[in-house]
Amino acid sequence: MIEKSVRCPKCHELVTFSGKPGEHLTVTCPKCSARGKVTFKKSAIDQDHAIEVSHLKKIYGDLVAVDDISFSVRKGEIFAFLGPNGAGKTTTVEIIESIRELTMGTVKIFGKDIVSSFNDMKEKIGILPQEFQSFEKLTVKETLVYFSKLYKKRADIDDIIDSMDLKDNQNKLYKNLSGGLKQRVGVAISLVNDPEIVFLDEPSTGLDPKARREVWEVIANLRSKGKTVFLTTHYMEEAEYLADHIAIIHKGKIIAEGSLEDLINRYGKGSLLHIKGCKTSNTVEMLREKGFNATSKGNGNIAVTIEHKDRLLEVLSHLRHECVDYDSIDIRRSNLEEIFLQLTGAKLSEVEA
Amino acid sequence: MNLRIIASDFNASLKTWKRSKGTMFWTIAFPVLLILIFGAIFSGVDEVTYEFHVQDLDDSDWSHTFMNILDNISVVDIKTVSADENITAFIEKETLPVALVIPEGFGEAIDKSFFGEEITVNVSFHYDPSEQGSSASILRSIVTSSLQEFNMQLSGGRRIIGVDQISTITEDFDFIDFFIPGMIGFTIMTSCIYGSIERNTKFRKDGVLRKLLTTPITRAEWILAKMLFMLFLSFVSTLVILGVGILVWGVSLHINLFMIVFMIMIIIATSFLFSGIGMIISRFVKEEETADMAGGAITFPMMFLAGTFFSLDMMPEFMQSIARILPLYYVNEGLRNAMIYMNTDKAIFNTAIVIIFATVFFLIGVFVTKWKED
Ligand SMILES: Nc1ncnc2c1ncn2[C@@H]1O[C@H](COP(=O)(O)OP(=O)(O)OP(=O)(O)O)[C@@H](O)[C@H]1O
Ligand SMILES: [Mg+2]
Repeated sequence: MIEKSVRCPKCHELVTFSGKPGEHLTVTCPKCSARGKVTFKKSAIDQDHAIEVSHLKKIYGDLVAVDDISFSVRKGEIFAFLGPNGAGKTTTVEIIESIRELTMGTVKIFGKDIVSSFNDMKEKIGILPQEFQSFEKLTVKETLVYFSKLYKKRADIDDIIDSMDLKDNQNKLYKNLSGGLKQRVGVAISLVNDPEIVFLDEPSTGLDPKARREVWEVIANLRSKGKTVFLTTHYMEEAEYLADHIAIIHKGKIIAEGSLEDLINRYGKGSLLHIKGCKTSNTVEMLREKGFNATSKGNGNIAVTIEHKDRLLEVLSHLRHECVDYDSIDIRRSNLEEIFLQLTGAKLSEVEA
Repeated sequence: MNLRIIASDFNASLKTWKRSKGTMFWTIAFPVLLILIFGAIFSGVDEVTYEFHVQDLDDSDWSHTFMNILDNISVVDIKTVSADENITAFIEKETLPVALVIPEGFGEAIDKSFFGEEITVNVSFHYDPSEQGSSASILRSIVTSSLQEFNMQLSGGRRIIGVDQISTITEDFDFIDFFIPGMIGFTIMTSCIYGSIERNTKFRKDGVLRKLLTTPITRAEWILAKMLFMLFLSFVSTLVILGVGILVWGVSLHINLFMIVFMIMIIIATSFLFSGIGMIISRFVKEEETADMAGGAITFPMMFLAGTFFSLDMMPEFMQSIARILPLYYVNEGLRNAMIYMNTDKAIFNTAIVIIFATVFFLIGVFVTKWKED
């Protein structure tokens, strides 16, 4: 949906209408009830969207797995679809990839409806399914060659191997690779046709922190090559680290969407001040008396919510005034975890389907 | 159809196969092992020969001819007892179960009978009646039937008793001749069912099928590539089995165009047939291990019931009628009639049935197999 503001030719009121690109609508002025026609531009906004999903719904028996969601992904951005287990991420992404059928709604890739033209899209997209395992008995290089031969458009395999840092392992059998390497091969496979959009469904799940970092580097690298990345994840750090644009999905619904900044500004509760190794008793009580939201985290660690930067100085002056003894303090901005907690009342990392 | 894609997929399957000890075992080592083991067990049975001590007191042309008849019976190993021995003492000394004595005047009596003399001459069959051992009764019946044959040919006025005609009494196919076609059918069945199950369960779970759905390969190309590879495997197995059968056990294979054409048709149809059954299984049993078990539950009983290792004639009536609803039975019969028995009618009949089974099961398999997720 796009919006268009027009001035009513009769009463000169500025009115905003929304409609689909390319649509012609007959509209009524809310003030003077004059009727007129509005045309929504097809091109401008359309052209910089790689994916547009509107009113998408997927129903399994009694379960509404994806509940009327709409969003779009701009070309060249890393879009993170963030949500807990069972939120509906895979269902959504696999509908976009035409692996599953939708119940209702429309999905367009580069402006074309996937239901009618997915076959033409195949050369332009590369996907890594969730928990993907490639052919065990082929080497990394053979695997990449195998998949690249399926396409008309082919990237240079050696380039991919270099850029994914797989050179040392290119002749190892897939089954002998570590989990992190397997995922990197998975990402590499999704690049063999030099696609414009890359879909990665939980590429770092199940990896240790080091391997996860390596996968992140690989994904960040894709953006620098100008690819559009559709990333699903349930790690908020991953979305924070990589994404230009984040949609948080919970129980089949998108509950928040925007850039990290947007989300923090809109839903964040300011910052959190941590006082570590506090040796003065009753500090928590003291701060509460002064009207602060302070909680003890044990071991003399205290967290204080700071809604506005002026309040920070107040806290510090109280600490000094009351001669509170502590080891260190640090201050952190709200993060996605807190935003998720605030929106759903549950912790992202703890929610299960 | 994109041949480059099909060739590339075939090549990947081939590499995978060469690197998988498990599948290598089932397609090559297992059948070879079974042939060697079963061949050894049953060739032992076939080669059981009964030592048969015969004392020829006549030493004429006729007695020699009769000895020859006996000697040509494959299970009989004639040992001549010198005419000097007292046969009763000899039997006792050597603790023989049986012995035969051709009396003096045997040949003379036969000669005379040609001139119309009503003369009979008896050979004496010595045996121990208390000993109900099988060798005695087998040898007695052999002697009786040989004598009948001998008599019949004499009274038919034929002077020369051809060895060829006698050998027709004993011509029989060895167990291994029976076993080799069964082994071919069984190996194709297992490798196709399990291969098909793997493709449709493991590849589904691992996301390979989902991945392929988003690439330009079509289902037809994928199925064709995989079936070509399964056919390749089936022919490799067949050649290995035949090779071992011929080289080690001397299978009496009749190589001619008829046999080759029917064998190829049956092998192709069998590969499609069991690949289809594998697809049907994995449509209903989604997990690889469980699906493998379901495959075993189908192939293992079928192997026995369809007469792979043992002739159905040995089984009770109702088992034989069960066999007639099993596709593997027709595969076995078709291969045996084409390769060994050279029975054209039966080969054609069974091949036709296998092709019908194959078409039905393969089409159902393709029809029920989905690549898409729900
Ligand atoms: N084929 C199916 N049949 C029935 N229900 C399904 C099916 N696939 C998914 N679901 C249900 O739809 C919901 C969303 O599942 P989905 O796999 O999309 O979640 P997800 O966000 O990808 O979770 P995860 O992080 O675990 O991958 C879940 O409740 C799941 O049980
Ligand atoms: Mg998922």
